[in-house]
Amino acid sequence: MKKTFHLSRGGDDARDEVRKEIELHLELRAREFEAQGMSPEAARKAALDAFGDRGAIESEVKGMRVTTVRERNRRDWFSELRLDLRVAVRGLLRSPGFTIVALLTLALGIGANTAIFSVLRSVLLRPLPYPDADRLVQLWTDHRPRGRAEPEWLTPPDFADWRSGNRTFTDMAAYQGWGPDLTGSGDPASLDGATVTGNYFNVLGAAPALGRLITMADDDAGAEPVVLLSDALWRTRFGADPAILGRAIALNGEPWTVIGVLPASFRPPLESSPQLFRAMRRPADSGCGRGCIVLRGIGRMKPGVTLQQAQADLGAIAERQAAEFPRTNDKVGVWLVPLHQQITGTSRAALLALTGAVAFVLLIACVNLANLLLVRGAGRGREFGVRAALGAGRGRLLRQLLTESTLLAVVGGGLGLLLGATGSRILATLVPPSIRSIQDIRVDLPVLVFTAGVTLLSGLLFGLLPALHAARVDLMSTLKSGGRGGSGQDGALRNGLVVAELAFAVVLLVGAGLLLRSFLLMQQVELGFRSQGVVTTAVFFPRARYQEPPRAVAAIDAVLTRLRANPEVRAAEATDVLPMSAGDQDVTAIPVGMPARNDAPGSIWYRSVTPGYLQLMQMRLVSGRHFTPEDREGSAPVGIVNQEAAQRLWPGVNPIGRVLATSDDPKDPRLTVVGVVAAARHDGPNQPFKLELFMPLGQFPSRAVNLVIEPSRDAPAATAAFRRAIQEVDPLVPASAVEPIEQLVGGAVALPRLYALLVGIFAGAALLLAVLGVYGVMAHAVAQRQREFGVRLALGAAPSGILRLLLWQGGKMVLLGTGIGLIAAFGAGQLLGALLFGVGAFDLPTFTIVPIVLAGMALLASWLPARRAMRVDPLVAIREE
Amino acid sequence: MAGSDLYTGSLDLIILKALSWGPLHGYAVGRFIRTSTADALSVQEGALYPALHRLERKGFLQEEWGLTDSNREAKFYQLTPTGRKQLKSELARWHRYAQVMTAALGAGRPQAAV
Repeated sequence: MKKTFHLSRGGDDARDEVRKEIELHLELRAREFEAQGMSPEAARKAALDAFGDRGAIESEVKGMRVTTVRERNRRDWFSELRLDLRVAVRGLLRSPGFTIVALLTLALGIGANTAIFSVLRSVLLRPLPYPDADRLVQLWTDHRPRGRAEPEWLTPPDFADWRSGNRTFTDMAAYQGWGPDLTGSGDPASLDGATVTGNYFNVLGAAPALGRLITMADDDAGAEPVVLLSDALWRTRFGADPAILGRAIALNGEPWTVIGVLPASFRPPLESSPQLFRAMRRPADSGCGRGCIVLRGIGRMKPGVTLQQAQADLGAIAERQAAEFPRTNDKVGVWLVPLHQQITGTSRAALLALTGAVAFVLLIACVNLANLLLVRGAGRGREFGVRAALGAGRGRLLRQLLTESTLLAVVGGGLGLLLGATGSRILATLVPPSIRSIQDIRVDLPVLVFTAGVTLLSGLLFGLLPALHAARVDLMSTLKSGGRGGSGQDGALRNGLVVAELAFAVVLLVGAGLLLRSFLLMQQVELGFRSQGVVTTAVFFPRARYQEPPRAVAAIDAVLTRLRANPEVRAAEATDVLPMSAGDQDVTAIPVGMPARNDAPGSIWYRSVTPGYLQLMQMRLVSGRHFTPEDREGSAPVGIVNQEAAQRLWPGVNPIGRVLATSDDPKDPRLTVVGVVAAARHDGPNQPFKLELFMPLGQFPSRAVNLVIEPSRDAPAATAAFRRAIQEVDPLVPASAVEPIEQLVGGAVALPRLYALLVGIFAGAALLLAVLGVYGVMAHAVAQRQREFGVRLALGAAPSGILRLLLWQGGKMVLLGTGIGLIAAFGAGQLLGALLFGVGAFDLPTFTIVPIVLAGMALLASWLPARRAMRVDPLVAIREE
Repeated sequence: MAGSDLYTGSLDLIILKALSWGPLHGYAVGRFIRTSTADALSVQEGALYPALHRLERKGFLQEEWGLTDSNREAKFYQLTPTGRKQLKSELARWHRYAQVMTAALGAGRPQAAV
């Protein structure tokens, strides 16, 4: 038998083979009959008869053949894969330097992407943990036409109107904070709770873990006082005892019946995590009228309703309210924010910027690897030539090379996943708590799928181009030239990749530069209050033992007196709200005797302070006087406003001696302005000034205050002083942690610093990779042209001429890459918008320094190998070939 | 089905035997069966092909493409090492079976039950 080459690729080939096999049989059989003397026609017929049912047999055999071929092809594919993998592993082990660099680059690139994506997914992509969460919106009132930039809470009558008058919402719920003192169950404790309308849990779609939820029936004015516990409070305070249901607990000294426990999985959409909930127990429009902005609202839109429709619907109600109650409601609109955006809004820009940054780093890493592989491929030209000569087709070589790059990517991706999981845990701690209290940040299935996708994509990205390039082997020339290869086209491709790398690096460096400048500018902002040299601690005198507020004030005074008597303490004061911390509250502000104005601010943020607090905090008095110890309970109520409030409430008028009312009700506090202080950045350097009102603690008491002291020597001694003073006044009051003011101030810029730091790290990595890319290409070019330089030098060329030649080659890439990068960076800078402070997307210093640094480093990277070219010994170089 | 007058497995056994001297294409295998049995087993010739392909799928045969005497490309079948083993064990089994059957059918009248 003489063998022939035959390849069955698939089903059609297989069926054709069967048909031919049977046809051959019939022909040979007919020839046999003809030899016995039959006519060709009769012989053919006899052959067919002897064969049997040709159609049935042929189709049966075809079916079997197709399966056989398919199975064999699959077996072949896998055995080829095994072979390719073996070759790839051996090849990678032979060049450990390349392999380690490639794996590390990939692991870092993929790890960073995994970590950032795990946060991005949890914060921006995963729906909130409520049924049909996309229909939930936060309800705000819009006071922008009245000159207030921020969205505002709702008044109870407005909420009632919205709820009963709308046609686009399934239902609306309202809630507000509640801070009851729990007594009689262990140590007295001040709890963090929420007061909600009866339909609150219904709107969110929650179910109880135990007992029942709060319902509309609990919301009536005369309803029994009932509370619902969070899982955490139930476990920590009541030992997870199911018998708590139906029992009464003492809150603010009154009995409240526990009706249920929420599941641990329930996360209310609030900044804090309330430990317990109570119903409002009053008609929504009683006790607190229009202009009394106390409620937060949340609504569930009907299915199919868009935000615009809901906005228009409620907007019409707001217009009717404005016409009917012009004094409180004129120019007050509706401001709806999808709940998801409400919760994640502030993190969005930063996360997208970080995602962009890590994607760029990975892109640069891939380009760098592609370059390394190109160089490697050029070095292996002879190997491929030999393999091609032995019969490996182009597809086969391509597959071998792609197997190698995919293997690298998969191992690198595996390492990256480990790094990413760790990175994700670290990043999670940096996400604002308002988001973390609702969404867990973790590496889940979609993140794994993302990592796998990124890994394979990277493998293709850095593997395909070099593989296509290397597999295009010119047999004869490669074998003849000893595999040196390195055509001009080769070089152009590598140069192009380096230009791309440089451009990406410029974009990242500019981004990092802009964020760094924002952070530095933020640090230079005049805060308007003392930002160093004092320490603070919170102290709280529980209502259970300090029913009368003045008793708490007396206790605070007693603590302060003890502190001041301590030689470790230079000064000691107290305030109920510290700058740069939560818990700020505002109240309606009516400047008595001023004409009503549309742009008049509706409210003012208020703090109770001890008389020396403003001086201790170095807040500058602009006019009038400071508080004195005579501004105490019983004397005429007084207040000090900041300049912002003075200008907005009393434009063009001296506010000293003017009266400020907190409502139309003459029974509510009215106070006389005695001083004006310079405005301070109470919420942080990048936040606008607020209207602020300071009041004497003696006249407006508080049970929870922050003590502020200036230590004589150092903070640790002051800490001991705090502890002792509080102990002496009330041994049952716990001392909280002592926090230096520097820490509070630092906390406000912590996020901008973090963004600048992270993007800075990524940009640094990008810079390093890009410069390495330049170095690699130049070093390779020098090695390739060794002989050429040798000849030139031998012919009398000046070494400096060769240096200039090579530097120009590198310089062209740097110029092109930097130019393209700067244009792209200008576009990318616009996207950073919300994260920038004090700088525009086009910041001249950033756009000047970045190209200089990058170009400098890239030229250095070209100079190092170029210098070597100058020192080439012509004799050695020429003899080498 | 064609070939139903053959004992089960006997067609497979004859095919394996036909290939024991070297690769053959389908027609040649069929001719071997016809001549070696003197046409006594009136097999429908087409039944050979499902059997050949089944044996190939079982791994007893492997294909080999080559040219016939008249220079036509044809699929040749060849015993694999497993196929050779199978032939050996099937032959042994057949001989045992034939002996037993021959003995049984050549025996005298059964004794009366005790």
